Amino acid sequence: MQISQFEALLARVNKPARYIDGEWNAVHKDWEAARVRLALLYPDVYEVGMSHLGLQILYHVVNSHPDYLAERCYAPWTDMEAELRRAGAPLTSLESRRPLSDFDVIGITLPYELTYTNALNMLDLAGIPPRAADRTDDHPLVIGGGPGAANPEPMADFFDAILVGEGEEALLEILEASHGGRAEALARLAAIPGVYVPSRYQYSPAGAGPVGAVTPVNGAQCPITRRYVADLDAAPFPTRQLVPYLDTVHSRVTLEIMRGCARGCRFCQAGAFYRPRRERKLDTLLRQAEEAVAATGFDEISLLAFTSVDHSQIEELVTGLTRRLGARGVGVALPSLRADAFSVAIANQIRQVRKSGLTFAPEAGTDRLRAVLRKQMSEEELFAAADAAFSSGWFRLKLYFMIGLPTETEEDVEAIADLVQRLLAFGRGALGPRRGRLQISVSVAGFVPKPHTPFQWMGQDETEALAEKQRLLQQTLRARAVKLSWTDPAVSALEAAISRGDRRLGAVIHRAWQLGAKFDSWGEHFQFALWEQAFSECGLRLSDYANQDLPLDAALAWDHIACGLGKSALRAEAERALGRGEA
Amino acid sequence: MAQFVCRYRKGDELRWISHLDVKRTLERALRRAGLPLALTQGHNPHPKLSFGPPLPLGATSDVELFALHVTEAMDADQVKQRLNEQLPAGLQVTEVWSLPAYRKKETFGNIDLAGYEVALTDSIGREDLQRRVDQLLASPQLIVHRGGERPERTVDLRPLIHRLEVVEGDDGLVLRMRLRTGSHGGARPQEVIALLGLDEHEHVKRYHRTELSTRPSEDRRPGAARGKRWRRQRR
Ligand code: SF4
Repeated sequence: MQISQFEALLARVNKPARYIDGEWNAVHKDWEAARVRLALLYPDVYEVGMSHLGLQILYHVVNSHPDYLAERCYAPWTDMEAELRRAGAPLTSLESRRPLSDFDVIGITLPYELTYTNALNMLDLAGIPPRAADRTDDHPLVIGGGPGAANPEPMADFFDAILVGEGEEALLEILEASHGGRAEALARLAAIPGVYVPSRYQYSPAGAGPVGAVTPVNGAQCPITRRYVADLDAAPFPTRQLVPYLDTVHSRVTLEIMRGCARGCRFCQAGAFYRPRRERKLDTLLRQAEEAVAATGFDEISLLAFTSVDHSQIEELVTGLTRRLGARGVGVALPSLRADAFSVAIANQIRQVRKSGLTFAPEAGTDRLRAVLRKQMSEEELFAAADAAFSSGWFRLKLYFMIGLPTETEEDVEAIADLVQRLLAFGRGALGPRRGRLQISVSVAGFVPKPHTPFQWMGQDETEALAEKQRLLQQTLRARAVKLSWTDPAVSALEAAISRGDRRLGAVIHRAWQLGAKFDSWGEHFQFALWEQAFSECGLRLSDYANQDLPLDAALAWDHIACGLGKSALRAEAERALGRGEA
Repeated sequence: MAQFVCRYRKGDELRWISHLDVKRTLERALRRAGLPLALTQGHNPHPKLSFGPPLPLGATSDVELFALHVTEAMDADQVKQRLNEQLPAGLQVTEVWSLPAYRKKETFGNIDLAGYEVALTDSIGREDLQRRVDQLLASPQLIVHRGGERPERTVDLRPLIHRLEVVEGDDGLVLRMRLRTGSHGGARPQEVIALLGLDEHEHVKRYHRTELSTRPSEDRRPGAARGKRWRRQRR
């Protein structure tokens, strides 16, 4: 497309800065000199995608290699999509504004289930058939990755290959293999550890829902074992991070201090998918922080980890960073705390620079149910943390809960309201004359069973039951100081169905996209009716995937993906959770 | 503590970023440049910056303004050079001058005139355009309704249009206009285009700002800030 033609489109869309190029630290490599050209796609709007560290790491790794080039593309918002389709213009990369179909490889990260229709839509906008079977030697190879690869089956129809696990090392191997005709390239890809080439496996369903086995066709690797970086401290990390013009979800330096989590909560897929827990060293982090602040000019640095206070040198790190950066007006943010007094003490250190609420995730209302989840947090600890927080001047708390958990009773749900009310009373007492400023935000989501966790077998509550529990909380938590937010139960149901999906869901996702589903994670775009129609047209039932309790001894649609914990270990954990209800 | 005023250019590359985006971009560039920026007090310290009147989205300009405070004595050329090294293509500081120490924080409150050159596509002819311009200038009143503002209101744009003429540019017709701007009320170039019965998408190639200045004091209401400072201070 001519530049002037593209400019004309920009004049017609909201936030045109989403589509322009040239953010500070964007990389422009010589197209002709690159042996393999990769387009990195993020299936959500620019502001969300730019806040995703994984994509930036891969962008940096690939562009640091002399032979390869990587450019980016984020999902165009619906107004831009309409303009592109009207003009008959293909989706292009940001950096060189070349059509995506000019690239050798399209890499799509799959951050969560509700972005899947966007991935299809982006391929379609690029003039690339979304289904792998419809593509020819003339099309780029389409490779998936990210957390969605934990269960690649629902998206298996659309990808030539899917990388299971972390990409720092594996992506370069993938690019190295991506040349020549499609068939040869796929043969080479299939031999790379951790790379799943769906066309070399077949699925034999054994009933309704995700029971059945995926087996290799011509001796392809099985299981596909998750890749991970053994030495995180030595792994490449981008300090020249992209500086967006727009205000994105997180416009700040992201410093990954730790990857993985050893706490082993039974519902948590991230904990399972990013094992083992690895740290970057203090010296490395202080150096990277300095470099990143100097290279970006951001005024905030966020310490990324599942639980940042679990880092063995977190105190030294926070002290070191606030000492070095505070005077320059650069704040430190700790997005992931634990509910204990130690976390609050750490948070207190950074309060001078950044004052916001503290976030804790008790997940359930009772100690009993938390023990079932293996969430290591007692009510006593929570109150101790709240005490420490209030007495050192915080007055906003944010609490995360789930409803519809395995073994949950009505009492457990009522206990959430009760817990919040007691915290409120406690806070009022602790804050004394400043009690008026107290605010407790309560965020409630429906439990979503995830593959490779001990809870993968456990069905989600029926949508109506979830809605009922939600209503109960809405009725009991009405204090002005409490701000209640929740996830639409229909969204949770779809998440559950796709996350436990098998290969047959590919047709459903394709159909839903054809019917117009996109930006499903955006409330204003989510249309559950389209999904219901897609399921029924494909002759499948959403509840078979979302709500069904799966037999503990059945083969599951994602068993060919090896994440770390073996199935027997998961089963033992599941039995412990259900049987005795203790950790 | 020293105060500098910078004049900068916003080029084609960045004409689609908003005024707010420009602020953020300059703030980060200043931080990268390692200039000893003076920070505001409080929990969330920010560099002390102030900006001239916002440029409409999609426009380019040669005459944008902002002011900054640094905590150490510095040379204006040094500020310009160090800042330009850190600015992306599409933003460039063209001039920096220091303000005397006794001057208060510059807020650009006295700027009330903005000049634009609006490049047009060839879907309108010279005569047709001239006729529309003449007609507009001959109108005693040009009432427009500003629905986007709260409270909604109507404004007479006629006294806010100081000059409007058609000239032949290198690449087609150009409308040259000088409009009142600033917090006491102003006209936007897009409004003038609409008053001429032209369509933004069909007829306009580019808005370009060529001037930010202050009216001569005799034109102003008593009590308003004086001076033509912005023009005189050019070196
Ligand atoms: S929920 Fe948090 S603490 Fe628990 S395993 Fe997952 S990441 Fe770790």
